[in-house]
Amino acid sequence: MNAEEIQAIFFAECEESLAAAEAGLAACKAGTHDDDTVNAVFRGVHSIKGGAGAFGYIALQSYTHTFETLLSDVRDGTVAITEALIDLLLRALDTLSDHVAATRGLGEAPDDAALQAEMTAAMAANAGAAPAATPATSRDDDEAPELSDFDFSAMLDDIAGAIGQTGAEPDTEATWTARVRPHAEAMRNGSEPLLMLREMIDLGGTCTGCDVSQVPPLDTIDAGTGYLGWTFALPADVSEAAVRDIFDFVGDECSLAFGDDAPMPPVRQPALRAVAPPATATMAPAAPATATAASEIVAPTHRPAALAAVPAAAAPAPPAMGQSIRIELGKLDKLIDAVGELVIAQAMMAQRLAGDGLAVTEELAMLEGLTRDIQESAMAIRAQPIGSVFSRVPRILRELTASTGKHVRLEVSGESTELDKTVIERLGEPLTHLIRNAVDHGIEPADARLAAGKPAEGTLTLSAEHKSGRILIRIGDDGRGIDRDRVLGKAIEKGLVAPDAVLSKEEIDLLIFAPGFSTAAQITNVSGRGVGMDVVRQNVKDLGGRITIESEPGSGTTFTLTLPLTLAISDGMVVNVGDQTLVVPLANVVESLRPDPAEVKGLGAHRAMINVRGRFIPVVPLHLAVGAAGAVERPEQGVLIVVETEGAGRASLLVDAIVDQRQVVIKSLDTHYRSVEGVAGATILGDGRVALIVDVDGLVAHSLADSGLQEAA
Amino acid sequence: MSIISLPPRCDRAAAEALLPEMIAALGSGPLAIDARGCTQIGQVMLQILVSARRTGEGAVIQASPMLRDTARRLGLEPELFDDAPVVATTRADIKGADA
Repeated sequence: MNAEEIQAIFFAECEESLAAAEAGLAACKAGTHDDDTVNAVFRGVHSIKGGAGAFGYIALQSYTHTFETLLSDVRDGTVAITEALIDLLLRALDTLSDHVAATRGLGEAPDDAALQAEMTAAMAANAGAAPAATPATSRDDDEAPELSDFDFSAMLDDIAGAIGQTGAEPDTEATWTARVRPHAEAMRNGSEPLLMLREMIDLGGTCTGCDVSQVPPLDTIDAGTGYLGWTFALPADVSEAAVRDIFDFVGDECSLAFGDDAPMPPVRQPALRAVAPPATATMAPAAPATATAASEIVAPTHRPAALAAVPAAAAPAPPAMGQSIRIELGKLDKLIDAVGELVIAQAMMAQRLAGDGLAVTEELAMLEGLTRDIQESAMAIRAQPIGSVFSRVPRILRELTASTGKHVRLEVSGESTELDKTVIERLGEPLTHLIRNAVDHGIEPADARLAAGKPAEGTLTLSAEHKSGRILIRIGDDGRGIDRDRVLGKAIEKGLVAPDAVLSKEEIDLLIFAPGFSTAAQITNVSGRGVGMDVVRQNVKDLGGRITIESEPGSGTTFTLTLPLTLAISDGMVVNVGDQTLVVPLANVVESLRPDPAEVKGLGAHRAMINVRGRFIPVVPLHLAVGAAGAVERPEQGVLIVVETEGAGRASLLVDAIVDQRQVVIKSLDTHYRSVEGVAGATILGDGRVALIVDVDGLVAHSLADSGLQEAA
Repeated sequence: MSIISLPPRCDRAAAEALLPEMIAALGSGPLAIDARGCTQIGQVMLQILVSARRTGEGAVIQASPMLRDTARRLGLEPELFDDAPVVATTRADIKGADA
């Protein structure tokens, strides 16, 4: 692994640390002030500082140092958690995020002098109030960038010295028992468990025994695993928290158990890691470690036992380290591609066998099941919780509060809902637009809200959920709702609709997605330039999704994004049109029917409407759109597929016959050829032919615009 | 008998570097570990020493004062050294010893 790769991992970890700190501060703001929450924030900032030091990012390191020192005071309880402090910490976190971005080469380093002064003032104020109240110990060790090996030798010298000194003898008063079992990570990155044991001795503890029973013979020992466990007797006046503090820095990498009856925590076997953590100073002699890792695959029985026996006394464990691996996205994409090819190959084989009269064979069914399993697992690897997008929202809201003066409370649900990474990445922009829009246009200023009998603080609701193979994301506000008269007036003024047009509520709402549309009386720097909502709709469409609006005047607006779970594979209806085979995405399909001739009403020479249970729906002959020869031309001779579209309501596509309904691997036309209107992409059929996937929205909107028809009730 | 000398600084890197050598040596007969020059030790080397003692015929360790002291403070003296006095392993024993 080269330095750049290690750096890339550092930045990826920075993102995680920032997210963890953000989540922690959000919890603090919501009123959770417990140790775990504060520690999570501290650890996030601390690990960024460590990496910054190791890579020599001076500005980042010095900024995080100030930040961390303040957090450490908060953690130690010498600085009280107040609303003002949390706001300061949140601003500090935003600046830290900018610092990290700048270090990565994305933007300028922020000017943090004022903020640093403010943070220092928060500390200094404390120092005046409660001098030297800081109880602990490990501050000096924390000062050192822990990835550096620099002062390691001094630290080790120290161990000898301190351990050699006469530790305070246990007095004759009562003592209590603490058991310590350091694990792999506690021995990495320049951290040394023996130093922490030294601190226990400094606290007055005495080692009453060392558990060596787990140490394996030399030829099977793994230098990275912690096998030793120590039992200490501590004076009664030393609190459990003081002992926890010593090991706080290594998190769950030192298992602790308190109390005379508590069993010694078990040895934790290291999980197989694809990529070693950045600071592992031991790349060269990796052979023994690899051998051990491999043997674990064969005999994985240790781990469940180790996990099952977490002592009740130990702190609630955060998600276990080493249970995940970091994979380059390119490799994953290759896997997904290969799985796509597998799906195609399987379909081809099925078709070939069917041709030979062997369609129903057990082996084929098995292969089909396995292919689907592999595909689902491969997709699951790419799936990420949407929380990573939602976690950026608090910052957006803080910035909006600063620029608009509106205070907004955020309610989030379903943040663990998973969807494809590509979808997640491309969701950020539309979501940001919608949130800005909701705060700027939707939520009223505080005085207007109070006058309307609402709380002064607005509420923004974000939710995500799975629903029938799609994902629904809702962004709702409790603001004034869409002022439809104003929207319609503005649209008429801009010539978007005819002055005498009669539009339904929903149609008026959809006008806000028209390019260049804005009702904002004045252009703010937040929104109002009329670029935004149409971009949002385009973004969502590019993702294969749809956006709908529900708005109630006076009580708020909710935007609902309906997105596919993945962009690589989708369910489609395979249809024949003349000499062509096409795929209609199942997401658009409402129903399919063979029309009764009496239900078809002709309009002019080529146009027709069909009466579906009292609703008249325009018929769109697919063969005209794709130029297929020899297709069925009269609706009553073919099959109609009723589809739901974004802008043009329902329509029915006229096809010759429905051949199949199955999963298709989407191949982008943009990358392989060029973008074609009315075509969403292409796929390869079981017989090796290429079939176009119909872009239902585009195609229907286009052909209805030509014919002037629309659904009518 | 093979003899392996430990460097003054027995950190993780030193431990990992010496481990294959120790495995080979213990596989071919008695082993003596010369730790008289050892001035610093970390947990990784400490547990390798414990393991070396418990493997095969068991290594004989010659300790520096620092190592000896660390082992005593961390309850490992009887485990690592043949000539270790019988020491307290429980609190009651410590009291007894004090008395």
